[in-house]
Amino acid sequence: MKQIPTTWKSFKQSWQWLFWAGPVLVVIGLSAGAVSGNWGAVPVGLTIAGIVLIGVWLVLQSQPGSGFWGRRSTQASTNALLSTLAVVVILGLINFLGVRYANQIDLTENQLYTLAPQSQAILRRLPQPVKVWVFMDPNSPNPNSGPTQALLDQYKRQSRQFNFELVDPQAQPGLAQSFGIQDVGDVYLEAGQKRQFLQNLKSERLVEGRLTNAIEQITSDRQAKIYFLQGHGESPLEGSQGGLAQAKALLQEKNFVSEPLNLVEQLTVPEDAAAVVVAGPKQALFDKEVRELNAYLQQGGSVLLMIDPNVDPKLDSLLKNWGVTLDNRLAINASAQQTVEFGPAAPVVNQYGDHPITKDFGNRYSIYPIARPIQMTPIPGVQETPLLVTSPESWAESEPKNQNLEFNPGSDRQGPLMLGVALSKTAQPTTPTQPSPSPSPVASPSASPIASPSPSPSPSPTTSEADKKPSEARLVVVGNSRFATDGLFGQQLNGDVFLNSVSWLSKRDDQVLSIRPKEDKNRRITMTAQQANLVGWLSLAILPLLGFGAAGVMWWQRR
Amino acid sequence: MRVILSNIVAIYRKELQGYFASPLAYAIAGIFWLLSGFFFVIALQDTLQTAAAADQIGQPFDAAYALIQAFLGLMGVLSLFILPILSMGLYAEERKRGTLELLATSPVTNWVVSLGKLLGVLTFFITLVLPLLVYEAITLSAANPPVNPTLLLTGFGGLILMAAAVLSLGMFLSSLTESSILAAVLTFALVLFLWSIQAIATGIGGPVGEAIGHLSLLKHYGDLVRGVVNTSGLILFVSYIILGLFLTAQSIEALRFQRS
Repeated sequence: MKQIPTTWKSFKQSWQWLFWAGPVLVVIGLSAGAVSGNWGAVPVGLTIAGIVLIGVWLVLQSQPGSGFWGRRSTQASTNALLSTLAVVVILGLINFLGVRYANQIDLTENQLYTLAPQSQAILRRLPQPVKVWVFMDPNSPNPNSGPTQALLDQYKRQSRQFNFELVDPQAQPGLAQSFGIQDVGDVYLEAGQKRQFLQNLKSERLVEGRLTNAIEQITSDRQAKIYFLQGHGESPLEGSQGGLAQAKALLQEKNFVSEPLNLVEQLTVPEDAAAVVVAGPKQALFDKEVRELNAYLQQGGSVLLMIDPNVDPKLDSLLKNWGVTLDNRLAINASAQQTVEFGPAAPVVNQYGDHPITKDFGNRYSIYPIARPIQMTPIPGVQETPLLVTSPESWAESEPKNQNLEFNPGSDRQGPLMLGVALSKTAQPTTPTQPSPSPSPVASPSASPIASPSPSPSPSPTTSEADKKPSEARLVVVGNSRFATDGLFGQQLNGDVFLNSVSWLSKRDDQVLSIRPKEDKNRRITMTAQQANLVGWLSLAILPLLGFGAAGVMWWQRR
Repeated sequence: MRVILSNIVAIYRKELQGYFASPLAYAIAGIFWLLSGFFFVIALQDTLQTAAAADQIGQPFDAAYALIQAFLGLMGVLSLFILPILSMGLYAEERKRGTLELLATSPVTNWVVSLGKLLGVLTFFITLVLPLLVYEAITLSAANPPVNPTLLLTGFGGLILMAAAVLSLGMFLSSLTESSILAAVLTFALVLFLWSIQAIATGIGGPVGEAIGHLSLLKHYGDLVRGVVNTSGLILFVSYIILGLFLTAQSIEALRFQRS
């Protein structure tokens, strides 16, 4: 009879010590969860085990009679503990709801901290989660980091579908690599499977216009279509010798769809074409094809021409309108810059024009094996920007078959040579379909079955939007097509030259919605000498002396 | 209800008398005014320099707005040091003098006492801050184009709200100990923690980090200073005030039984 209470007592005493394991386990569990950021089985299990231990201890303590629970102070402090817990929980819940349904009033005069109505509308109807990744140490001293975060905070407040994360690329190299970041400060936009590079924060902060437009683009289900003309020995889109498979894959990554285009079977350039690429034809194009391309350009289309030497694509009638002449000679680069791999017939370019396509290139290299120079004659209304310029030591060789390549002042042209040019002019809205009144009714039924399956509802607003503003015809001519083919595509900047050209031609990066950046109100403080004196005296002398004086008087009186 | 109100007023008046008859309070006021005057002159010079630089590049620059932001930012830091000193003696002094038992056992409820004390110390803080508005107003009256005073008042409102939250929590810490120095140090540590919590939150990340980040005083004060009134921030400040009041009342309540 006496045995049982003693064992019970010793058991209870051992539990006294076990109790301490409870809080310890809870702390371990919570820290494990917080550190790993993963609330898996282990941290949760540890925490629950700790709570259970504390609970068991409390139950054991509550044995009637003597002990901890018997005391009145215990009862009081339990009451206090419970009510404190209740108050904390209630306040926590109120705050939770407060954050959930937060309202914000912007009292600044220019509404500096309020998003433009366009952005708000787009965020309100986000169809899928969108996330912005900023690859930058959150504590980096970049002056653009703070405003960018504040802007992203505003976006986040508008929509629960929007999220952003700052990632230190050094701390998470795997993640950084999966995005293919090139520099600290890169900002990427992600929606579903799609990822898009937005900008780098090194030189400029993120602005609302760009972010909203990018969100609009990445969430819209319509993809820009890039058509590759086929049928004259152009580089195929498949992965074969001289193919464009790498280019196609990277275009896909940038949310472009690449499709072959046969202008002999098809009557006109499809309406949903964001750009047409003519990549290294070996034979001449038919007159009709050139006419269609011309008509397409006149309506505000975009064409990328990549024409190798020793080929006459019969595009002169088209190129004449833009003032472009394809030089029949071969660009030779015999300077120190020539690459051992390709020889003097592969000009290496490290000078680029001031243009959206080449603006980030600096003086890095791109290679164009067997290229032809381009010559320009200015045409009123056409804006031309040289893109690719060879070194001054290069020249255009008229007799490339000659054994020893050297510059002959008579027939050859001294560099620098222009290997690529970007041109643009406003499309003539007066002649939208003048040359092709007959094909257009025929074209619409033929084109619609191709386009109808998925994107048929979406292109219609696009075209109507495009109709409203004066559209621009864009043309990029490069005297070489090999630079973009498999193998060479990954060399140096070659891929970027191609992708940026397509991107510029597609007009996708033009701001669809014009959102003016928020600006401070221009305001100055011009104090008179009197005012300045008054403020100086008040702040530095009168007020402090008032305080110290009063203190002194009080102290004196107390004595 | 009227009894409660008159109780609060009685405590409030007693506290105020304590402040305005104490040389220490005036000394604190003198130091505060000297430092804030100094900060104001710095902020003003800084702003004028930036304005001159902006003139040279031809960029728009809102000098008045920048001045308000810079000055209120500095005031926030200064308050961080001054508020624990204000709240340290609220209960610790009573405990030291042995008058806390009287308060605890008096018919006046504990939360009425704490509310009265909080109102008293907050009023003192407001009297510290109000004179600053005078030279701020003189300076801003020289702004061209003229300034809308809403922003300035919102910022000062934010400062007072934040002060109330800190004082309330400081009052609780003061009720725990007999030493006012310890209370001040504890409050200072707590305030420092609540200020820097955002850095911790960004370190953790995810929803947990977000929840922790919401507790940051700095973030919500910064919002108000910038002229952005966010309801969630206001709710948080009020929550801190209520929590401080409640915990103080609880800790005095517990005192009754500890001594018995």
